[in-house]
Amino acid sequence: MTIKEKLEILADSAKYDASCSSSGSARENKGGLGAGAISGICHSFSNDGRCISLLKILMTNCCMFDCKYCVNRKTNRVKRAIFTPEEICEITLSFYRRNYIEGLFLSSGVYKSPDYTMEKLIETIFLLRHKYHFSGYIHAKAIPGASDYLVKKLGLLVDRLSVNTELPSENGLKLLAPNKNYQKIEHIMDVVKQNKSKVFTPAGESTQMIIGASKDSDYDIMNRSSFLYETYDLKRVFYSAYISVNKDPFLPALELPPLQREHRLYQADFLLRFYHYKVEQLLDPLHPNFNILVDPKADWALRHLSEFPKEINKASYYDLLKVPGIGPTSAKKIIQGRKVFTITFEDLKKMGISVKRAKYFILCNGVYFANKEVFQKDFIEKNLVLETKEKIEDKKGQQLSLFYESE
Amino acid sequence: MKASNFIYIYEDSLEELLYTIYYLIQNRWKPIDIVSERNFVPNLVDESFKVKSNLLNIYEIWKERVGSPVLQTVKTVFLSSHPKKELILYYFLLHALKNPKTIYQHRDLKCVNEVLKIEKYVHRETHKMKGFLRFKEMKNGFLYAKMEPENCILFSLAYHFVRRMPNESFVIHDVKRNIYAFYTEKKLNFVEESQIKKLDLIFSDEELEMEKLWKTFFDTIAIQERENKNCQRNFMPKKYWKYLIEMGP
Repeated sequence: MTIKEKLEILADSAKYDASCSSSGSARENKGGLGAGAISGICHSFSNDGRCISLLKILMTNCCMFDCKYCVNRKTNRVKRAIFTPEEICEITLSFYRRNYIEGLFLSSGVYKSPDYTMEKLIETIFLLRHKYHFSGYIHAKAIPGASDYLVKKLGLLVDRLSVNTELPSENGLKLLAPNKNYQKIEHIMDVVKQNKSKVFTPAGESTQMIIGASKDSDYDIMNRSSFLYETYDLKRVFYSAYISVNKDPFLPALELPPLQREHRLYQADFLLRFYHYKVEQLLDPLHPNFNILVDPKADWALRHLSEFPKEINKASYYDLLKVPGIGPTSAKKIIQGRKVFTITFEDLKKMGISVKRAKYFILCNGVYFANKEVFQKDFIEKNLVLETKEKIEDKKGQQLSLFYESE
Repeated sequence: MKASNFIYIYEDSLEELLYTIYYLIQNRWKPIDIVSERNFVPNLVDESFKVKSNLLNIYEIWKERVGSPVLQTVKTVFLSSHPKKELILYYFLLHALKNPKTIYQHRDLKCVNEVLKIEKYVHRETHKMKGFLRFKEMKNGFLYAKMEPENCILFSLAYHFVRRMPNESFVIHDVKRNIYAFYTEKKLNFVEESQIKKLDLIFSDEELEMEKLWKTFFDTIAIQERENKNCQRNFMPKKYWKYLIEMGP
């Protein structure tokens, strides 16, 4: 098999991993090739609009596990390939010198045993770091069930280590990934957390969940994320809209990946991490799923209209963050600006703050953007929903029935 | 001499521009425009006047009066290709002299917003090009890249690659401005075409194979069910495609 054929198989198998971030590591160049960039660098964007920052490949797609949603499950008849450590090093270094990539994302099917697979991953990355003196970014996947000492060894070589949660609930995992369990997955997260330092996974750990393969609600998913953030200090939880690659009685027959739902989950995830929201504020057992038509923050605002409109020239930083359309950057600009002048609607525009959504929820120096009578739930909702519908209709080929998630 | 309402001409360098602005503000002359000598086209209506610096320490003078963050912003904006950058900087510095401590907060002033917008654009393009630049390997081991950015970002870009590839030899060519960053034997110089001409630039044996491999990876990594070319173009505008191997035929 040629290198090109191997790359085709092993990049194709790795493409469902959402993470491609290369940020968070300031690894210095020590005379060899490469260095980290703390903000991360995107080197290209593929046809699906996702950033390409790392050479994202599996070491092998040979796998002893039989996860029902996975294209590489043991019982699937697909072409299999294995990269040797030297081959991975050669492609990584050649791509890096030409500035195609920021580093390597190395994952693998479970080959022979979790420990054997981990040893091979370690061998590859050890070569890169110590034979070729490569200081670019490396993100590796830990294999659930591998021994602690191997996780510790790998953590010292890479910038980020992650282990996939796969499904938002233990039941889903039992049903769809019978060879994996939460205990093994969380054990690895715990080992990484305990050892985290400037030299051990400096860019921290992350995880990924598949959305729409199991029956879990958005409420289940957000609770799971919130638990993972709090317990294991994860940097990111990635959500990956389920793409139907296998037929199985336990799997839903989705024609299109639930991209809009994935989008809402990412929005809510940001609300947890940067906007100080709690899951309970956004969802509850009676309303377990996000409204597909309105983003979670606007949805919250519409349900708490009595707290609005907020006066831009007086509201606290945290109150400003609650306004749909205003994020941390805009809130900080407003706080700085109002120290030296009184902010009007025109000023907001000049400052580069979009008032398209915010205008319904704010006063500027006591002035509402229209007459006060329009400050009503129905009116605002109608306008915000209209905007979403336009956006959704813009995306050709994506037909969404308007209420399919919220019903 | 009635010196307001002139077009002022400076000699193509940041020092000269800083001096010109300093000179105008000191004399309380209000320009209708400030133009570099290279870009100046005389017209029949406006009178023009060329200012020539006679100060050596113009940076120090400005630094003392407005502080180094403002001066840093001015340096960045000067790299932009904005046609009115000089006049915008004049107003920005005029206000910075009045409010050196709070100038960045004054988002009610047009010149402050303009300056911050241009500064952000230059930084963004520098950041993007750190990702979008593509080197080709030559037989003599040199890595060679061409680019056509909007702003003059070659300097900070070259230092970025020196930091991460100290043992390589490379050339980065800003095609529109026809300037080259030339790095070899751990020395970085900014040179003109004649010095690059001496290099023997033939692709290495592996070059085309690596480009094919990269294209294979690029095509494979996209998930067809998620295709979204609008999103792709938003992040990677067409103006950068010319030298992107993966976007070529």
